[in-house]
Order: sequence, then C-alpha cells, then structure tokens
Amino acid sequence: MNLLPYAHALVARQDLPIPAWLFAWGASIVLIVSFFALSVGWRKPRFEDENWRPLGAGVSRALLGWPAQVLCGAIGVFLLGVAIYSGLRGTEAPDRNFTLTFIFVTVWLGFPLFSVVFGNVFRPFNPWRAIGRAVGGGFAAIAGQPAARLEYPERLGRWPAAIGLLAFVWLEIVYGVSGGVAVGLSPHSAAIAAIVYSTYTLAMMGLFGVEKWCERGEIFSVYFGMFAQLGSFGARGGRLGVRKPLAAAGRWAAVPGSVAVVLASIATTSFDGGQEGVFQSSMFDTFEWLIDAGFEATASRRITSTLFMLLCLAGVALIYWAGVRGMATVRGAPPLRKLWTGFAHTLIPIAFAYLVAHYFSLFVYQEQAQFTYLLSDPLGTTTTDLFGTASAGVDYRLLSANAIWYVQVGALVVGHVIALTLAHDRAVAYWGDYRQAARSQYWMLAVMVAFTCFGLYLLSVANS
Amino acid sequence: MRSMAGRATIVALVLAVAATGLVACGSDDDETTSATTTTETTAPANGSSQSGKQPTGDGKPAIETIVVRNGEPVGGIAELEYDAGEQVRFRVASDEADEVHVHGYDIGEEIPVGGTATLSFPADIEGIFEVELHGSEKQIAELRVNP
Repeated sequence: MNLLPYAHALVARQDLPIPAWLFAWGASIVLIVSFFALSVGWRKPRFEDENWRPLGAGVSRALLGWPAQVLCGAIGVFLLGVAIYSGLRGTEAPDRNFTLTFIFVTVWLGFPLFSVVFGNVFRPFNPWRAIGRAVGGGFAAIAGQPAARLEYPERLGRWPAAIGLLAFVWLEIVYGVSGGVAVGLSPHSAAIAAIVYSTYTLAMMGLFGVEKWCERGEIFSVYFGMFAQLGSFGARGGRLGVRKPLAAAGRWAAVPGSVAVVLASIATTSFDGGQEGVFQSSMFDTFEWLIDAGFEATASRRITSTLFMLLCLAGVALIYWAGVRGMATVRGAPPLRKLWTGFAHTLIPIAFAYLVAHYFSLFVYQEQAQFTYLLSDPLGTTTTDLFGTASAGVDYRLLSANAIWYVQVGALVVGHVIALTLAHDRAVAYWGDYRQAARSQYWMLAVMVAFTCFGLYLLSVANS
Repeated sequence: MRSMAGRATIVALVLAVAATGLVACGSDDDETTSATTTTETTAPANGSSQSGKQPTGDGKPAIETIVVRNGEPVGGIAELEYDAGEQVRFRVASDEADEVHVHGYDIGEEIPVGGTATLSFPADIEGIFEVELHGSEKQIAELRVNP
C-alpha cells in the first residue's frame, strides 16, 4: 500500500502504530474517567472567573515595554527573512533546507506548546505585527495623525483565520504532494507562499489595523492565541498577569468563527494522521477512480486529499453539532446558537492533545535538525557552518517506541479529562440547576469520548 | 430522580457498548492489517521477505534480496520487519549503478552496475524507515523495527 507517495516532507522516521493492548487500555481509561466525571460534578462553576492578578510592574515593563517589543519584533522579522531567503536560494532537498523545518515544525508545532505554557508568546515575535506597527508609527510621525482605517466587520469574527488555517494546512500536506517522490511542499514554494501571505497580511493590517487583524484574521496569531487561552499567563491592558489555568478559554470562543478554528484544527490533524493509516485504502480507491476518470496523477492526489480533508472537517463538525443538538433537548437549555459557541472552548484541549499525539516525535527529532545543521547551514548547500554544527545529525535513538506511545496516549487521556472538566463547568454556568447540567453533559461526554477514541484509533492504525 | 438514574444507566450502557465496539474494532483492524502485511510480504516472487524472522538450519541466515530493475523494485516495495536488537540483513541487486540508503539509520551502500550491495546493521532504532535508492530517490523497501 505504498503506491501513493503520501509522506510528510521531512520525516526520515515514522511512528509505529500503538499496539492493540495499549489502545484497549487507553480507551478503557477514557471511559472509566468519563463515568467518574458523571458522578463527581460540582455545583457551582469554577472556571467562569479568570481571577486575573497582575504581576509586578517591573516584570510587565521589562517584557512588554518597547525595548523588548522592538527586539522581539526584529528577531521575528529577521527569521522570516531567513526563511524566505533560504527557501528561494537554498537547496530543494526538504530536509536540508531551513525553511520547511522552521515554518512547519519549529513555528507551527512549537508555538502551540509555548503558548500553553507561557501565554501568547507569538505576539511580540509576530513579524507582520512588528512591520505593521513600525510602518504605522512612521506614518503617524510623518503625517502627524494615525492612518485612517476601515471598521472591521465584526460579523466576520475569526472566520478569515479559520479559512486561513485550512489553507495553510492544505498547502502543507495536500498541495505539496508532487511527482512520484515522497517530498512535500518544496522550500521554494514555501518561500513564495510566505511572500504572498506577508503581502496579504500587511495589506489587511493596513485596512483594518494591526492589532485588529492579529486578533481576527492573522492565521498564526489566532491559532497560537487559541492555545494560549489554556495557560495561566495573560496580558490585560498592557500588564502581564497570572490567571486561573483554563479559565480564559471560555470567553475566547464567543467571537464568531472561533468554533470553526477549533474544529479546523482537530480536523486537519485527524486528516494528517488518517491519511497514513485509517484513510489510506479509501484514499487510494478514490485516487484510482480519479485516474480512471481521466485526471492526471498529481491532480488526482490533490483532489483526493482535499476531499478527505473536507470530509474530516465535516465529520468533526457533525460530531460536535450532534452533541450541541443533544444538549438543547435538556430542559432549561439556552438557545442552540449560544450552546454552539459556548462549548467550543472545551474542544481546545482535545485539539492540543491531537497535536501532541500526532507530532510529538516529529517535533523532538526535527528540532535536533533545526538547532544543529539547519542553523549552521540554513541553505543546505554546505557553504556555511555558522555555529560549527553543520555536520551534526538527528539522533533517532533519543526516543523509544514505548516512550512515544505513552506520550501519545497520555496526551489524549489528559486532553479528554480537561475537556470534560471545562464542559461540565460551562454546563453548570448555563443551566444553573446542577442536575439539568449533569444531564446535558451526557451529550458532551459522548462527543469527547468519540473524539478521544477516534484519536486513539488513528494512532493504532498509523503507518500500517 | 429515579428517572435520572435510569437515564444514567442507559447512557452508561450505550457508552459501554460503543467502547467495546471501538476496542473490538481497533483490535480487528490490527489483525487485518497484520494479515495484509503477511500477504504482501509473501507476495513478491523473488522470495522470502521476513528475512529477520527466518531461522535457518545451518547457521547461515537466508538473506532477502530486493531486485531492482529500471530503478523499480521487482514485486513492489519490500517489507522488512525486525525486533529491536536483531541484526538487519538484506541485499539489493540492481541493473543500474546506484546507492542504497536507509533513512533514520543513515546507512548507505554503493551498488555497482549489475551488481549487488549487502547491508547488515543492528536494529537499534525503533520505528518505520524508508529504504530508498539515492540516485532515483525511489523507495524500495520499508524497514520496521518493533520494540
């Protein structure tokens, strides 16, 4: 079943599927935890109030003050420049070029992790925000007034970011499939895409304002910002503070389109996991059918992958929708629309767990490459050895298969528990009556069990 | 409140049934995949694919040979499966000169025109790895090392 050259652009090693016994254990623990959750429901919401407390003024000034902002922004702009330059000028070998690992592993997989732990750390490093603010500041200094901008249509909410998220992942794992070679997106195409995206982002910032676009439309800010809601660090009115972990997530999803961002995150990770296992044979059948229908190979591959990615999105949305519809039948339920947005944040831990489960080993291995040869020889042309690490390699002995399995299953189980906790808490807040709230949660419980067991299932047939 | 308890029982039952289904489904699938693996590995005409597992009488392990013609592996991509700690051994015969490359292990071996290359190394990294021809970048085998 290796006729389709579906493979990640960078990996030299793929995870073994989790063994059947571990799958069974994982699923059993999930169910036991879920039943336990049914019986211990608390009566008053505990995560509705963030309980935000400011950190010392010195800390805020040091980390949010303009010298730090300028420095971080400059680093961000510089790294974006390196990524574009090495993509355009460097080798086309995906694993030897700085660009692909930097964008798709270090940034795309690294920032969700950093954001959960440290808060919204992408914000200061965001190169487009830095450029936008510098240009805006320069304009205001010359013209003596800030540039005029359009009112952002609030109805759009985070929809531009949700669509952008799909487009980004599409570019990474659907468009990239080329030739008959197991190579994804080429570094050159990634650099072109980065230039196009930068132009688009700066234009939108010019239209709607830098911060507004970062909150609503800029893919990376919105996506990483979503994970930052889970952690306990957050800024308010220019001051850094500590809050109750998980508590900020509840308000995040109130903005239109946020549900789509969470669902797209889960769906795209599912698709990437599934295309190497669960969906492989159906995708192959579809591919062959398209070939028979007269499409050329590359087009057939792209159509197949696009179709399955959209099917994943539809499937994930349908499961959540069924849960919401179910909750609506419980007496005293708020309107459907309020339920639909009101429980979206409970899926963020699951989205994060999916990321860890599917990309943990890739991240650990590829970061070794990032901080050794890719840093010393970003172009991959063996012409530079900036830090003397150009000849170093990735040590694939670092993680045993067992260690990877436990991290994968552990992430899904922990994500499940946190999701259940948030859902129960929200239900208590919405229904007021604790018993009705508990009844509504049978539905969300089913949704969570479905997602977690599907995640385990994806792992158990990966790469087979 | 009795009806609530009743409902809880029903939900519990449904969940339990779903879970059993999932677990069964998962293990089922595992069986089917291993089944396809075996059929695939026995399919190639050029012989035994489970080289690592094959015990031999006279101390000489039977070495699997992957035959490459016009840059394509004859009989499709070979599957090599080992347990960690075993010795990986296989041979590649090609009509064209090329270099065999085992990803992850980063081991390479030149093949002369019309000749063979023999690879032998300990299976000390767990996971799934591609074995490919360096020149044509064609995958010729999949190496699977189980813990």
